[in-house]
Amino acid sequence: MKRIGVFVCHCGINIAGTVDVARVAAEAAKMPGVVFAMDYIYMCSEPGQSLVREKIKEEKLDAVIVAACSPTLHESTFRTASVEAGLNAWQCEIANIREQCSWVHSDMEKATEKAIKIVGTMVRKSMLNESLEPIPVSITRKALVIGGGIAGIQAALDIADSGNKVILVERESSIGGHMAQLSETFPTLDCSQCILTPKMVAAGKHPNITLMTYSEVEEVKGYVGNFTVWIRKKARSVDWSICNGCGDCMAKCPAKVPAEFDRGLSTRGAIFVPFPQAVPNKPVIDRDNCIYYKSGKCRLCEKVCEPKAIDFEQEDEIIEVEVGAIVTATGYDTLPILDLQEYGADTVPDVIDGLAFERLLSASGPTTGEVRRPSDGKVPKEVVFVQCAGSRDPERYKPYCSKICCMYTTKHALLYKHRVHDGQPYIFYIDIRTGGKGYEEFYHKAEVEEGVVYLRGKVARIFRDGDKTVVWGTDTLTGRNVEIRADLVVLATAITPKEDSRDLAKKLRIQSGPNGFLSEAHPKLRPVESVNSGFFLAGCAQGPRDIPETVAQASAAACKVISLFSKEMMEQDPAIAWVDEDLCGACRICISVCPYDAREFDEEKNVVVVNAALCEGCGSCVAACACGATQQHNLSDTQIEVMVSAALEAFDV
Amino acid sequence: MAKVAYYPGCALKERSSHLDRSARDAALGLGFELDELETWTCCGAVPPVSSERVMNLIAPSRILKDVRDSGRKELITICDFCYNTLKRANYSIRNDEVIRKRVNAFLADDDPERTYLESDDAPWVDYDGEVKVLHLLEYLRDIIGFENLPAGLKNPLKGINIAPYYGCVMLRPEKEIKLDNPENPTIIDEFTRALGAGVVSFPYRTECCGSYLSVSSPDASTRLCYRILSSARANGADALVVSCPLCFYNLDSRQEAIAEAYPDFRPMPIFYFTQLLSLALGNGPEKQGFDMHCVDVSPILEKLDTPEAAEVGE
Repeated sequence: MKRIGVFVCHCGINIAGTVDVARVAAEAAKMPGVVFAMDYIYMCSEPGQSLVREKIKEEKLDAVIVAACSPTLHESTFRTASVEAGLNAWQCEIANIREQCSWVHSDMEKATEKAIKIVGTMVRKSMLNESLEPIPVSITRKALVIGGGIAGIQAALDIADSGNKVILVERESSIGGHMAQLSETFPTLDCSQCILTPKMVAAGKHPNITLMTYSEVEEVKGYVGNFTVWIRKKARSVDWSICNGCGDCMAKCPAKVPAEFDRGLSTRGAIFVPFPQAVPNKPVIDRDNCIYYKSGKCRLCEKVCEPKAIDFEQEDEIIEVEVGAIVTATGYDTLPILDLQEYGADTVPDVIDGLAFERLLSASGPTTGEVRRPSDGKVPKEVVFVQCAGSRDPERYKPYCSKICCMYTTKHALLYKHRVHDGQPYIFYIDIRTGGKGYEEFYHKAEVEEGVVYLRGKVARIFRDGDKTVVWGTDTLTGRNVEIRADLVVLATAITPKEDSRDLAKKLRIQSGPNGFLSEAHPKLRPVESVNSGFFLAGCAQGPRDIPETVAQASAAACKVISLFSKEMMEQDPAIAWVDEDLCGACRICISVCPYDAREFDEEKNVVVVNAALCEGCGSCVAACACGATQQHNLSDTQIEVMVSAALEAFDV
Repeated sequence: MAKVAYYPGCALKERSSHLDRSARDAALGLGFELDELETWTCCGAVPPVSSERVMNLIAPSRILKDVRDSGRKELITICDFCYNTLKRANYSIRNDEVIRKRVNAFLADDDPERTYLESDDAPWVDYDGEVKVLHLLEYLRDIIGFENLPAGLKNPLKGINIAPYYGCVMLRPEKEIKLDNPENPTIIDEFTRALGAGVVSFPYRTECCGSYLSVSSPDASTRLCYRILSSARANGADALVVSCPLCFYNLDSRQEAIAEAYPDFRPMPIFYFTQLLSLALGNGPEKQGFDMHCVDVSPILEKLDTPEAAEVGE
């Protein structure tokens, strides 16, 4: 019989507050096979781990059970400790008495009984555990980065600089993302284009980076280290290998479309590059708005194109690539002004959002950096900025804080004052949040030195009266209602995930939270990884954040990818399914239930075989197998039976 | 002729009887009859804003249960307060199991045979909120269709500009009432446009008229009504259209006080939406109860074209 040791963790008061841990240890000591049991305040601490190591040696233990938190948290911690003391890693088991017991119960007596039962089941299982060895899996040392904003660019550059190959996929025809739209950046007021474009160019030229713009991820299959990705390269209607980027076609295009890059404050042609500093600087035809595609006539661009690069017949291409890791950096949208009915929606022309104001401030924007309002082009003398437009409003819009608006609105007010010296900016706010290096000082400068008027309260209604845009709000510090007859109103609309972020998450099989932002594996300790291994997160796809934080996170994600690629081989968990070929009836039901495509039929042997690299050990096939041919290592039918009976026996006690 | 169950409420029997009459006339003109419930009680009116959870739901629930028991599925009401009270009571019964049980237990006590102190868990009646409560405007929009109104109009309201005023309780709370967007409502605008009148949108169209402050603090109500009416005027309105009897009362009867307090004020006629509909359908001004208005509506009536008269001339 195996010699088993049981180690019961208090987890401070997390477990010990609800479970009598000393009694659990005492009861465990009486169980058949258990030769040693103890409790300790923090098993995962170094003294706790060394206790495990010492006792394995002293008591000549064959197997170890740690009754503590969920195995997702510390299974690997204790397996490593066990290996250091000479045990096989799969002889170490976790009995989860925290998430599945102490955290969900309040009655100490009953919780303790339950904890004893949980330990009892693991003791029975442990008796029958085999020693296993990890399965070596090869790695494709090439990364896919989805999204070509500052997050994606930074992650791609860092991975590429380490000598690994990167494919950078961007939906628009140019990389750059929202940062390319910004005028100047807080709190230092350096020009956004000036710090971004060198990185865009570097990404475009890097020998290890393959840029795939105007492309979208279609499908992803495989597993960490070995993904196959299908990418849709959308028809550009321009042969980029011939196009010299001269721009003649754009100058001649007669179509007029509101320019997305300028938030509709200017127009573009149907053949266009989104902005002059685009990388790659080659145009595409927007077929929805092209006169030729709509009416069958025009083709002016084709006539003026010297190198004959226009190709109206071009079709979408699907490109298949193999990668080992995927960084998702798909960025954000902002809540449409149309959703904010009380703020004038589409009926008041001089109500714009923060990104539109960035374009008005930008030297490369539609007004070449002069602040002119959309309705009549006049320079506004009074501008009202409304923070939390749709944020921190769980009743009607988004419950969360969009995080960057306090700072960028302060920046907006400052830049406005710098451009219109006799202008008066007002900012309505709920709280001013300036957590960041130099942020509070920046806000102080705006309020004290530059005369920006901060009004603490919400805006109730915005409407047009003559050529004025009237703002009704409340100032909760004076307790009075405020009416401002403004010339321009800028809404700091809520940051939202990309409209289709949930679809992408589904495609990648990664998780997203209640507001649609992608979820990290652990909010504190694994902030740039998805729960599914091989997927990493960067930028606003995960939640609202500013540029410094985005860049830091992108580099962190890159670092994780590089560390993955630095291994010779990866190790795959061997506790997976296997097939007893003598018993397999070749019914193939298991193939249809496997969610990972990890099973295939061997025609020659007339049995089903398991692809060990793909199997995740979910157990679906084991449950489905009619003849008991499919079993799972260390979770055999026998083991499950003894665990169930251990739980039921305990009920009778 | 189709009959639809109709709950008039107290105001429509007294001070706002012209709202009731014009609504009945208009309905007949559109081919349905507002079929007043045989027995009905006070809807509860103000109690919905109290913190009591159950007592204020009993009167409206009894009304709704009676409609259900008479085999009808829809109930039309017009007064915004009645609408708010009935619809919210129905919402609570549909969505809150505890309230549903409590209210039904109370309703069970209506039965004279019932002995008290029976278990609340086994009420003798079981009203689940199955009646659909419809504002007359809602019925016109969703069942008749505003787009179908113009075809039946004998006197489209050409030549006048009307400002729709929404008030508060017809639209709020949004989750329970679900009639229109309370921040940017359009239902009366669309209705008024369908009658052929010019529609004036103005910023105060959803601001408070003072409601019951006209009893306790009439000056406050006067100030609020002044803002509403002068804003409508400044935006080019000849008249205001409302659906709520309390809004009507404040906006109409306060105008004398407004004129005293604000010398620049010019009176503005107030209409119920049903009066406009009834007029447009060809019922004469004498049927609209205009004698009950404080502010003379005749300048508006004079502005209206009268195609019927023209036809006679031919």
